[in-house]
Amino acid sequence: MASGMEGGGVGYVVASYVITWVVLGVMLVRTVGSVRRARAEYDQAAKGEFRT
Amino acid sequence: MAFRDDVRRIRAIVWKDLTTERRSKAGFNSVASLGVTILVLFGLALGPDGPALHDAAAGALWLAILFAGVLAFNRSYQVELDGGALEALLLYPGARWAIFAGKLIANLIFVTLMLVIVVAVGIVLFSVDVPASWPQIVLIMMLGVLGIVSLGTFYAAMSSRSRAREVLLPLLLYPMLIPVLLAAMSATKALLFGDVMNEAGAWMQMLVIFDVIFLVATFLAFEYVIEV
Amino acid sequence: MSPAATNQFGPPKPAPAWLGWLAFLFFTFAQVFSLMTSPADAMMGHLQKNMYVHVPAAWVTFGAFGVVLVASLYFLWKDDERADLLAASSAEVGSLFCGLTLVLGMLWGRPTWGVWWSWDARLTSTLVLFLIFVGYLSLRSFVEDPHRRGQWSAAVGILGAINVPIVWMSVQWWRTLHQIQSSPRGLAPEYLRGLMLNLAAFTLLTVWFIWRRYEAARYERAAEHAAQAAALGGYHG
Repeated sequence: MASGMEGGGVGYVVASYVITWVVLGVMLVRTVGSVRRARAEYDQAAKGEFRT
Repeated sequence: MAFRDDVRRIRAIVWKDLTTERRSKAGFNSVASLGVTILVLFGLALGPDGPALHDAAAGALWLAILFAGVLAFNRSYQVELDGGALEALLLYPGARWAIFAGKLIANLIFVTLMLVIVVAVGIVLFSVDVPASWPQIVLIMMLGVLGIVSLGTFYAAMSSRSRAREVLLPLLLYPMLIPVLLAAMSATKALLFGDVMNEAGAWMQMLVIFDVIFLVATFLAFEYVIEV
Repeated sequence: MSPAATNQFGPPKPAPAWLGWLAFLFFTFAQVFSLMTSPADAMMGHLQKNMYVHVPAAWVTFGAFGVVLVASLYFLWKDDERADLLAASSAEVGSLFCGLTLVLGMLWGRPTWGVWWSWDARLTSTLVLFLIFVGYLSLRSFVEDPHRRGQWSAAVGILGAINVPIVWMSVQWWRTLHQIQSSPRGLAPEYLRGLMLNLAAFTLLTVWFIWRRYEAARYERAAEHAAQAAALGGYHG
């Protein structure tokens, strides 16, 4: 039964953390981006309404 | 009084769905043939002989029923959709659950008939020794089919009216059926091999619980998914 | 601003900026703190540290799905589209964390048991949950009409939520029958603090993600609605 005491275990832990942080980072960027885009879209549409 | 109307409505829907089925003989025959074909494919995957084939008989059987039966579910709404009759059906006053009940019963009959054929062929192809406990197996099959058909009829109400109906129904339905399939396959397999550990009873209980929960849930939720 | 529109279709209240900063700073702190202060486990060695990402990810996955369930029920009850948008946002965020949970689970399982996958109740239920999330999001992408999309998603979400514990129980029973013991994972107190910290940090992060995603969805919907109103003749006094 593999035990985590070998060096290989550490590699898996490192991979876990790297993946987690990368995923969260990408989520952050995309979330902020999507809010900005959606807000811009709304401001556009609302302005269009006023122009009439 | 209103309930009698609902019962009449249910009977009418069952009759309509089944007779449309019967007139398009292609319907039942092709689905049953598909079930058999799937069994053959499993046989090819696991055979030609030996323990793998024998062990997998229960699993192969249920998967064949699932894959072939799924075809029946979308088609059960096809009739109304093609003729634009769904709106008309919904215009009639009365409970939506009666529509669901009618389609459910029609699909139950359809899938059960298919099951009979697939089981018969399966016994031959997989060299199954029919055990003395076969009445229990029949009961398991009825419970399993009920679970599959109730959820299948429910999700088909949505998938049949969406753009990607072929992929959407399996995608939504299969994860939901995992407990049913696991219980039915395990119980069937155990009974075929003499049920050394007396597990069939527990699986049967689980099937009953599952069926009750999801029959109630689908009946309650149906009105939200059937609206045009 | 059109007074004819109910609150549903107006723009959302924006999530406060400080929340995002707090969430990410706290997360960084929690991660660094637990990495530095938790000693190597006697049996698992440094693999134990996986717990500080895997367990919180699983926790917020199920939390997000809980939000999907509650929001879906509310939507069917009150027919408020905002509830549907909240459910959808939670599903999007939840599915990402669900995928992460699965990957982290595999990265823990491989060095521990030697296999990438074992059909235990936890892993299998998480996978099924992932499939349900995917089904939910696929369904939404195939339905155009917002009201129908909301109703269908709600039904799928609610039934899915009911199913997950049932899946868990049936797989658990399946394994018990075949006498496969799951390794009991007790928790020593020195690890508990780090775990709690990370649970809180992930929760805060997830709340922020869902809130912002919800905000975006509300803006999109409000934009659609404003465009429709403009097309129909503009400002209605």
